[in-house]
Amino acid sequence: MKELNKEQITKGLEVFQNLADSKLVTHLNSCVHCGLCAESCIYYLATKDNRLTPARKVDLVASIYRRYFTFTGKFWPGFVNARQLNKETADEMVDLLFGACTMCGRCTMHCSIGVDIAFLVRVGRTMLSNMGMVPVTLQSTVNAAVETGNNMSIPEEEFIATLKWMEEELIDEVNDPNAKIPMNETGKKILYTLNPREPKFFPLSISAMAKIFFAAGESWTLSTKMYDVTNYAYFSGNLDEARLIAHRLWNEMGNLKAQTLVLAECGHGSRAFRWEAPNYLQEQFPFEVKTSVECIADYIREGKIRLDPEKIKDVVTLHDPCNLVRSGGIIHEQRYILDQFIANFVEMTPNGTDNYCCGGGGGQLAMSEYNDRRMKIAEIKAVQIQKTGAKIVVTPCHNCVDQLSQINVFFKLGLKIKTLAEIVADALILENEPG
Amino acid sequence: MFWYQWITLGSLGICLINSSIHLLRLVRLGKPTDFSSPAGKVSASVKYSFTGAMNPLKKESAYLHLPTYVAGIIYHLGTFLSIALFFLIWAGVNLPDILIFPVAPFLLISFACGMGILIKRVVKKGLRDLSAPDDYLSNLLVTFFQLMTGIVLLLGQLIPVYFILSGLLLLYFPFGKLKHAIYFFAARYHLGFFYGWRGIWPQKRIERDGG
Ligand code: SF4
Ligand code: SF4
Repeated sequence: MKELNKEQITKGLEVFQNLADSKLVTHLNSCVHCGLCAESCIYYLATKDNRLTPARKVDLVASIYRRYFTFTGKFWPGFVNARQLNKETADEMVDLLFGACTMCGRCTMHCSIGVDIAFLVRVGRTMLSNMGMVPVTLQSTVNAAVETGNNMSIPEEEFIATLKWMEEELIDEVNDPNAKIPMNETGKKILYTLNPREPKFFPLSISAMAKIFFAAGESWTLSTKMYDVTNYAYFSGNLDEARLIAHRLWNEMGNLKAQTLVLAECGHGSRAFRWEAPNYLQEQFPFEVKTSVECIADYIREGKIRLDPEKIKDVVTLHDPCNLVRSGGIIHEQRYILDQFIANFVEMTPNGTDNYCCGGGGGQLAMSEYNDRRMKIAEIKAVQIQKTGAKIVVTPCHNCVDQLSQINVFFKLGLKIKTLAEIVADALILENEPG
Repeated sequence: MFWYQWITLGSLGICLINSSIHLLRLVRLGKPTDFSSPAGKVSASVKYSFTGAMNPLKKESAYLHLPTYVAGIIYHLGTFLSIALFFLIWAGVNLPDILIFPVAPFLLISFACGMGILIKRVVKKGLRDLSAPDDYLSNLLVTFFQLMTGIVLLLGQLIPVYFILSGLLLLYFPFGKLKHAIYFFAARYHLGFFYGWRGIWPQKRIERDGG
């Protein structure tokens, strides 16, 4: 490909001006090149490739900033390693910031200074997005969401048919002909969202959550028009597209006059909507937003659902989705839920906010060009799981389910991978349990 | 006052002006705003960011690299000590022997730590690839500032060299990576804000340990 044109360079550099708040300026100026973050990153741990360390990713973004926005970088670029934004730099950015980072934020927690490395990676991705250099695979996922309302381009009729099929499953499961999956009903307490992977590949997770709502006697609905909890534009770095996608879900809350938006088990979707969307939109939500993990924990606390501790005998472990845990603060709720009915639970080491990413975050699952690298880094998670001796891995994230399922096959682990709703639904005690 | 003290005083003035520019810019850019509804306490988290989160047992950058971490801590202590001593030496205050004898050897140890960190940067390929001339110069200026402080305390000699070196260090401070001394505090604040707002810090222990 040819050199970057002037417009691309201007648009790339504009990010430093448009987003220049004290957080950005601080993190761009803080790295001391100690290199002590290397071992905190799965990419370095699995490959031992010095190019893939968090420090190199930070420095790539900061070096461009130095070149154009600091005195030393303008006049003695070589002295402070200030790099020009050209084709070579941009290509390296694509490879490192899109292809070698899941934006998991583990390095940030361990950085000796406190540089928000994942935040700077995202700033770099925004630059590339402004320059039209988002990998086509990731961009096509974003385009699908923008053009069709969901990132898998599932037509509405197909989605409705899947929901009807799942409703039949639900009726059988709960042995109640009145059980339903409500669609587009107004004035309900909860508007529930889905990761489009669910209707496409894992429809039983829809009926699992419906079973929990049924058992809790919840007033809820799904929208057949706008149900996609994901926002891949958060990963591509395109703020306009991220805003557009977030706005649709907000509008649907208004259309259906629901009180609470419950975010499906999707780490990045939860993060993108609960924490990031109000900032893209520069507005506070006029409604409550919570994750399905919190919702299930509340049902247990309030005695709305009961779980059978005899149901699951296998050893169970938990994978903490980075976006939900390290960047979303949902750390204890999933453990509280599993504590109620899992007798043989083993934590991974490390876990919680210190967990290792599964390798599928940051849009990696959408970027097939990095598949080999993605499966290489997955080795860290595979070993971690193996050490627990678990037969079931639970994770409250469909993206993680997808990556863990691939890890399961690739490393021949012989596991069952389940979402939290699925394992809870398996152990639900129902009044009308079929005999 | 000697000519070299005037030079150092001038450098200190330039250093303060340029450092203030960094600081004032951060102040002007203001506190972060977040439109999401908070799940935790920012003030407690910012406090944790400067305390509990800096615990070496909590950071891989510390406990996986203990020799470097310990050397880094000693090196930074040596730097703070040398800065404090700079003002005393500049004002012509003589330290009593009872203080010189622990302080000067400590500065020699911190000098050795600085050299160790520098050698690591030269020898380790990953670190070398990450480094710019700025990294080497910053280290050399601070490391030799500590050595010269120790020499001046112990021998009372090479005073002009000490002041010229101090002047160079002060002049360079706001332009290279040494300015992390300013940004470090802002970085810890922002990290505390981010994790506090989302209810992640201060960290609560995960009660269950499985089994
Ligand atoms: S955010 Fe995660 S994947 Fe990216 S550099 Fe940091 S540790 Fe590595
Ligand atoms: S640990 Fe932090 S300061 Fe050190 S190289 Fe990594 S990002 Fe930079």
